[in-house]
Formats: sequence, C-alpha cells, structure tokens
Amino acid sequence: MTDMEKERNLKYTVITDKGVTVCGRVLEHNHTGSAMLTEIYRAQLGDWPKFFKMDTLSKVGYLAAELLLKELGERRLEGEEYASDRAIVLFGTTASLCADRNYQETIQDSDNYYPSPALFVYTLPNIVTGEIAIRNHYRGETSFYVLDGYDTGSMAFHLQCAFQDDVTESLLAGWVDSTDNDDFRCFFTLMDRADASDLKGLENELKGIMDNLK
Amino acid sequence: MGQPGVLRGVEKEMARVIECIADNVVSPLGRTSMENYVNVKAGCSGLARYEEMDRVSSPFMLSRMDRYLMDELCIGLGIPDGKYTFFEKMLLSSSIQAVRKSSIDPSSDRVLFIISTTKGNVSLLDRDVKGFPHERVLLGKSASIVSSYFGNPNAPVVVCNACISGVCAQIEAMRALQSGRYDYAVVTGADEQSPFIISGFLSFKALTDTPCRPFDKDRTGLNLGECAATVVLKASDAPACGWVLEGGAIRNDANHISGPSRTGEGSYLALMEVLRKCGSEGLAFVNVHGTATAYNDEMESIALYRAGLIDVPVTGLKGYYGHTMGAAGIMESILSMYAVQDGTVLATRGYAEQGVTYPVNVSPENRPAHGNRFIKLLSGFGGCNAALSYAYYS
Amino acid sequence: MEEMILKLKQEIIEVLNLEDVKPEDIDNDAPLFGEGLGLDSIDALELIVLMEKNYGIKLQDPAKGKEIFKSINVMADYIQKNRTR
Repeated sequence: MTDMEKERNLKYTVITDKGVTVCGRVLEHNHTGSAMLTEIYRAQLGDWPKFFKMDTLSKVGYLAAELLLKELGERRLEGEEYASDRAIVLFGTTASLCADRNYQETIQDSDNYYPSPALFVYTLPNIVTGEIAIRNHYRGETSFYVLDGYDTGSMAFHLQCAFQDDVTESLLAGWVDSTDNDDFRCFFTLMDRADASDLKGLENELKGIMDNLK
Repeated sequence: MGQPGVLRGVEKEMARVIECIADNVVSPLGRTSMENYVNVKAGCSGLARYEEMDRVSSPFMLSRMDRYLMDELCIGLGIPDGKYTFFEKMLLSSSIQAVRKSSIDPSSDRVLFIISTTKGNVSLLDRDVKGFPHERVLLGKSASIVSSYFGNPNAPVVVCNACISGVCAQIEAMRALQSGRYDYAVVTGADEQSPFIISGFLSFKALTDTPCRPFDKDRTGLNLGECAATVVLKASDAPACGWVLEGGAIRNDANHISGPSRTGEGSYLALMEVLRKCGSEGLAFVNVHGTATAYNDEMESIALYRAGLIDVPVTGLKGYYGHTMGAAGIMESILSMYAVQDGTVLATRGYAEQGVTYPVNVSPENRPAHGNRFIKLLSGFGGCNAALSYAYYS
Repeated sequence: MEEMILKLKQEIIEVLNLEDVKPEDIDNDAPLFGEGLGLDSIDALELIVLMEKNYGIKLQDPAKGKEIFKSINVMADYIQKNRTR
C-alpha cells in the first residue's frame, strides 16, 4: 500500500465551550464554558496546578493536547529526558484576543490602572505551544500561525512545510480559537511525516475535523 | 560558488536556492534599508526617553516612528489616506517599497505573503480608540488587507511566534518556496509600540529608562522600538547568487513561558541545527537578540559557548532600534546583509564592559568583517528560539 | 494581625490562581518561593501589583520584592509598616 493509498485516519480531540470529544469518545460534563474546562481538568488530569494560571486559549489547547496524548498512550518524558523530534504547530483566527481583552481591562481605566503581568504574558498565542512543550519536555519546533478564516488548505500546507525540518518526526497539530473566557473551540491531532505526505488528503481530513468546531 | 544543503524529506530535484532579491526597512532611522544601514554605521539611534505616554505614567525608552512622517511616506507611495491603521501603514510602506525593488508581479498566484507581528492592531482594543471596525483587531484581517492591496489571490499567513516571528517568517517562506508551490514570498513584519505593549513590559519590570546595554555588566533591561521590514525571497533553480537563505531552525526551551532557559537549551539547539545544515565556513558574525535584560544576554552567551561560537564576532542592534518585536528578525537580518557586504561587524551600541559568564566577542566599535555568511539568532516569550543563516555568493 | 493575615492569604490565592490551596494550607513561616507554594517570577510580579492595588505600597525593584515575599509573616509585617491604604 503506497502512502497515497494508506487509510488516513488521524486521531483527534475536539473541545468547544459545549463539550469535549477524545478520539471519538464524548466526555461527560455538567458545566459549559470555562467552568467545564476546570471540571474536565479535575476529572481527567488533575496533575498540573499551573493549569489554573493559564488563560483560556492555553487551557483549551493544553487540555486538548494532554487528553490526546493520554488517550494515545504516549509515554511522558520526565526528569532530564527531552525530545527535539516532536513539533507543536498551531493555527487559529483569534490568536490571543481573549487574553488581550482581559489584559486591556487592567489598563483601560486610569483610575483603576493595574497592568497585570500574569495576564500580559498570555497575550501571545504561541504561549499555548510553550505550556505544552514545558509539560511534555518537547524541545522541538513550536509555532503559531494566524489565518484569516477557517482555512484548512493553508493549515495543511504549512503543516507539510513543518516536516521540511528533518529532525521533526512527529507533530502535535492544532487549531485553537477563543474570543472570551466562555467562548472557545479547538481540535488537536498527532501526526507523523507520512500523514503529511498527501497534501490533498490531509486537507480533506482536517476539513472533516474542522466541521466539529462549527 | 556553493550548493546549499539538501533537506531530508524534500526530493533532491526540488531543492531550490532561496535568494533574497529585495529588502526594505522603514524606521526612525530611515525609509530605506540603505538609509538605515548608513545611520546605524554612523552610530545614530532612534531611541528617546519618554516620561509618560497615554495612561502609562512611568518613564521608558522608545524608538518611535513619527506619525506625520509615516503619513507623508504613505502619500508618496500612493497609499490612500484614512483607510489603514498605523500598523497596516507600517507594513504597507515597507512592503510596497520592497516589492517595487524586486520587480515581481505581486498579484501572481505564485507569490505568497507572510506577515510577522506579535500584536498587530491591538491598540484598537482601547475603548478610546475609534475609527476602525472591531474585526480589524484580528491579525488575519490585517494580513489580508496587505495581500489584497497588491491584488494577491492567495491566503496570506501571519507568523505570531512572539519575538522570534521575524526569523520564523523567513524560515516558513523558505519552506513554502522549497515546496514548489510558490516562486516568491513577500515577508513583511512590524509592530506598533502601543500603551498595551509598553505597559505590559513595564509590569514585567523588563524595561530600563536609559539606553539599553547589551551584554554589559551594568545592563538593566530592554528598550522598545517601532520598525517595519520586508524581504522578498525568490526560489531559483540556478546556482546560488547574491544573498541566499541557507537554512533555519526553531526550538523550544521547554522550561518557562517567559524566562529563558538558564542553560540556553533552545538557542543552543537552534544554533546547532543551523550549523549542521549550513556549516560555519565564512561566518562573519552572529547577530544576536541581545535585549540587554540580565537573563537574555547571559543565556545567549551560554548558548553561543555551547555551540562552539564564543569566538565568532557578535553584534546586537537593540541599542539603535530598541526591541522591534515582529520586525526584529527581518530588520536585523537585512542590516546584517548590508554589514557583510560592507565588510563591517556593526558596533553593539550600549555595550562597554563584559557582563556575561562566557565573554562574547562583542564591541562598542564597528570592526572589519571577514566572511560571506551570518547567523541571526532570536528568543521569545513562550520559550521559543530561532536561528537562520544567510550567505552571500558573488 | 491575624485577620489581616487571613485576608492576605485569600488575596494571594485569588490573584495567583492557586485554585487547590486554602488559607489553612499556607504556613505563615514557610517560604513562598522555591519550595512551599513554589511561586515563580511572574507570581512575584503579580504580588508587586497586589501590594500597590490593595495596600498602596509601590515597589520598583523586583529584587526587593523577593525579600519581602519571603513568607506570609514577613510580608504581613512589611505591609503593616508601610501600607497607605
């Protein structure tokens, strides 16, 4: 079977403010929005208190990545073990808009002017990639691309480009958007070089996954 | 005449030479790359001290673009008045000049636009700022405004990877061209130093209200700056000629989201990867990030030492421009090209006395450069680091 | 003072998003940074903001902050002596 004929079957997690699906399995939850994120974190993970310091975009991306890696049975690197062969490449349209708005609130009013460093640090969407890299000891490439609209064609193309770094053997790919603390959507998948070889196939697959977000 | 290294994973037949065929820098130090270079070589700086700005009531250093001069420049370039935010004007004023210099047809579907920025139109979030629809705060919208100004049919992409965006954008352009889908990439970057950004860095206690001092033992922090910079890259099947982008790498420290790794892991890995792909023959200098914070410069000296580059001349440009965020990687690469062709290692303005563990080969004076290659190194929030290598073939 | 210390702990927990920590979990003499609560550099900067916002104390030098934030007791003592609110 050639690469073209191989059954492209990316496993993925989807998180929206309404619910979470991990490799096809819908997770139980009672809340929606940001309360749901806390609920899912406590129920499924609960081992990384830094989660509570994250902004919404990072919480969503972090959860999606962790749930996926756990489901796929990926071994966690610990201690002095680090890997440079796994990249994290994310896409979105809102970038850090949610965090930007939250930070702006701390500087908007000259009578209540208290710029928050903890909020400011999250006003960059690539911080999501940093949080995942720190947790998982990934020292590979981390990137964030902002697109104008739901553009799985560009996403597929730039994911394929990422594999031109010949050290990169696998890649956590994701789409993550958030406009406020209770509005967010994302999907994450783990792909390898072979998954990126057929561009049209990859684009079609990403399109199918993206439909879960709409 | 050299052949660039072939990348594994790309068919040998597809390995194309990536040339920089045009460039532009718009900053307080000039409207063209050459104007900027001449001023930097002469020791001029765009930095000035501000006691306050808007709601920001603490002093800071800023290299700020004059808004009237920018409007004047835009009128001269035919950019219609009243349609674009200051950030968009920055991108347009630089990319228009570079595209004209390149003589490419930017409306061709073989041309890809890549924008590099950290915060784009974030100043529109200020409720006192009016005049543009709210959706302009989305980076993708600004990108489309730039690409459609040129009539380009392709979806542009914004590289939003903190302070390393400018290097990443060039790396991504190189890959896009290597793929064979595009023949040209217009890589343009800018950031407006709005109260949003200034207040944020002040809250981090990362800024100094005196001119920054990269690698100096008395360094106390960053200065900020505004700049727009553009390179036009071309994929060629001919032997290497002119400035060739030979390779790049992006690596994460996996340590902390705002502080650099104490052992410079990501910078070291990025440097090693670039050295592995491109070699160090004819390396004239390393143009570093050199933000003049206690941690960054120390970390970079460690990374350079570990990568075996501690004796290579080092140059840092933050003392002339401040930290220009999304433009930094592009502008600092362009000035490095001009410096190599001028046979000069530019002075690291603000440096006087060694203040890092591994003494970097840095100087407060311009020095003769030997070689046809340079490496550009950057680090950013999120633990990311990037390096690229350009070589000049005459 | 005890009331002030309890309030301070609640403020710290809220401002630093220490979700799983209750005031009774924080020992008044335990180090806040490094071990103990394991706070980091960004937390130190947020505490500087807290000092100004809630107590009117302006700290320009983050290094001074690390001394003052050594423990709850040290911090409370400093606030008591320097607060303007």
